[in-house]
Parts: sequence; structure tokens; C-alpha cells
Amino acid sequence: MGALTRERDVREAYAAHSGELYGFAVRSLGDAGLAEEAVQETFLRAWKAGDRFDPEIGSLRTWLFAILRNVVIDLGRARAARPRVAEGGVEPSVEPLEQALLAWQVEEAMRRIGEDHRRVLLETHFRARPYSEVAEELGVPEGTIKSRVYYGLRALRVALEEMGYED
Amino acid sequence: MRTEDHRDWKLSLGAYALGDLPADERAAVAAHLEGCEECRAELCSLEGVAALLPLADPDRIEGPAVRPPADLGARIEAQIAAESAREGRVRRRRRFRLGVGGAVAAAAVAAVLAIAILPLGGGESSPAQQVKFASLPNGVSIDATLEPHAFGTEIEMYVSGVRSGTLCRVFLRDAQGRTYSAGSFRYRWGADSHAQLSSALDLSQAKVVGVHAGNRTFTAPVDQATALIGGADFDAT
Repeated sequence: MGALTRERDVREAYAAHSGELYGFAVRSLGDAGLAEEAVQETFLRAWKAGDRFDPEIGSLRTWLFAILRNVVIDLGRARAARPRVAEGGVEPSVEPLEQALLAWQVEEAMRRIGEDHRRVLLETHFRARPYSEVAEELGVPEGTIKSRVYYGLRALRVALEEMGYED
Repeated sequence: MRTEDHRDWKLSLGAYALGDLPADERAAVAAHLEGCEECRAELCSLEGVAALLPLADPDRIEGPAVRPPADLGARIEAQIAAESAREGRVRRRRRFRLGVGGAVAAAAVAAVLAIAILPLGGGESSPAQQVKFASLPNGVSIDATLEPHAFGTEIEMYVSGVRSGTLCRVFLRDAQGRTYSAGSFRYRWGADSHAQLSSALDLSQAKVVGVHAGNRTFTAPVDQATALIGGADFDAT
């Protein structure tokens, strides 16, 4: 039996997943207003197709993201079809959207790991600062920076796996 | 090899996977990896994640958390309640045949209808209001009917004459100029162009109804003095 046919189920699904769905919608559409519409449309479609959701097959989160992905494609097409940009407007291909979803998941996973780990990964890897410099700034031995990079990557992997990432 | 040494090698694998080790240390770790199956397996697991990092934008990671507006959940519930009520009105019985789940859905529809019928006071006339959009471009026609509900306002909108595929975003505005989204639809040539929408704003508070169609915006005043237009179709039988 579908798990989203009742309005109360939709409310619970919204409470659990709206933050992530909205975050990804903003990331991929680049517009807060459109992102709101995308999330609204996603839950409406989910409710309408609630009979077809089967928790035995996949998680509610994965299903909602699959619907959102289609909504984002539709909204992207609608935007491309607006008169101002209609001439030569190109439909967004699927690839950049998959890429955007992955990028957003990595960013979200980075936000979920501990502050110490995030800080060290940001400074040493993203900003390419020497370990010694970051160690001095944080007042810890250089070896601690190295171990935080290691445990940070492991934590990142766990956070990504919680979001459905597989190698 | 002592356990302590092994642990040290392992801790270097994060920096190694990210390509952030100085050349001499990198060579030393590589030499250790040659002879250590456990570290090779660990490295393999880290490399998958390390390869994804270039996708991330550090400014977005550190930027303020993006959260949906506080009223978005209520708007979604209102829209679903309106759709639910509409399904009941047009006597679409699909959900009623789905066994237990259908029965629950039917109860939900009945509950929404009960709420919707209450303000009708006997059900002879509906307080629905038809609004007029003035100064539309040649060939464009927009009509809207607004109906009060416990959850807010239901809006039935009919659009014609705009470019097929145009995204139409409908909203209500109150006396203070605050805008309440009523959702969106796409206008399609040849398709049913009546859209059913809903907004969380009470009809009694609405001053303006409007639609952003493509890059144009059209509005119509909501007349608070009028409460009319017949044809209550709440036959919850």
C-alpha cells in the first residue's frame, strides 16, 4: 500500500525532508522563488502518486529526490521557454543536474561532519594552506591536522552514505 | 611492524588520498602501501570520497544554511487540501476503491468537504467571487474565481492567449502588500487551461489576485464588498 496517501503522511514527509529538498532546489535552480515552487510541486506530485510509493523498494527520501529532479527539469524547461530567452534557448541536459545533485550532496555532507574536521578540510584542501600554518593557527600539533584530515574524510564518507551515496 | 607505526601510516592516508602530502612523505606512504593490504583497502575507500570533493564549493559549505520559508509547509498542506476537496467535488472515486488506504483518503476528503461546506450556511449560494483582469494585451484573456476555505483561498484560473509553455505563477496580496503564493501552472495550447490553485491567505484578507505569466505580471482587485456568484457545487454525495 502507498505510504503517502494521507495528508498527515505528507506533513511528516515534509518535516523530515523539506530542508534538504529545498537546499538542492535552490542550488540547482539558483532562485529562491522557483525553489519554493519546486518543493511545493514535489510534495503535490508525491501526494498524488502516493499509492505508487513502496518503502520496500526504496527510501522516501530517494523517491522525493527523484520527483524533485523531474520538477527541476520541468521548471528549467519552462524558464527556457519564456519569451525573453526563447530564441536559441537550450533545454537543460540531464548531466549537469546529476552533477548539481552530487555537488550539493558533497556540500551537505561537509556541513554535517564535525566543525574541527570541516575546518581542517576547508583550510588544507580547498584553500591549499600548508598543514604547519593551519596547525599554528589552531594551536595544535601538525600531526593532529593530519589525523583530522583522515577522520574528516571518513566522516564525510559516512555522511554521504547516509544520503544514499555508493562507490 | 609495530601497531603504533601502522596507525601513523593510516592517519597519513587522508592527506595521501587528497594529494596533499609533500613529495617525500608521499613516496614513503607509497612504499608502505606496497606491503600493506589493509592500508590499500583503506585508501581505496577514502579515494572515492576524495574524488568527489572538487565538486563542492567551499563558499556554499560555509554560507548560511538555506532553509525553506516558514509558511511553505502550510501552503503545501493548503494546496493538497484544496486538491483533495476538488477530487471529492468532481466525484472522482478512484481513491475510494483502494481498500484501507482508500478509506482513509476518503475520510480525509470528507473531512475537508465538511470544513468547506460550513461557511455556506445552508448551501444555497457560494461566497465565491469572480474577478476581472483589466488592461490585458490583445488576445490575452484571464479569468479567476476565488473561493474561501478554512485553509485559505481556492483559486480557479483560466488563461488563454499567452505563449504555449508559459509558466504562470499565481499569488494573492493583502492590504499590507504582502504576497502569498498560490502555486504555479503551465499554459498549454490545446490543453485544459483551467488551473486549480490555492493560497494560505484568507479571501477576506485578499486585496489583489495576480499572475506572473512569463515576464509579464497581470493583477485584478479583489472586491471585499461582493460575495457572490452562484453555482455552489459542493455536492458531497
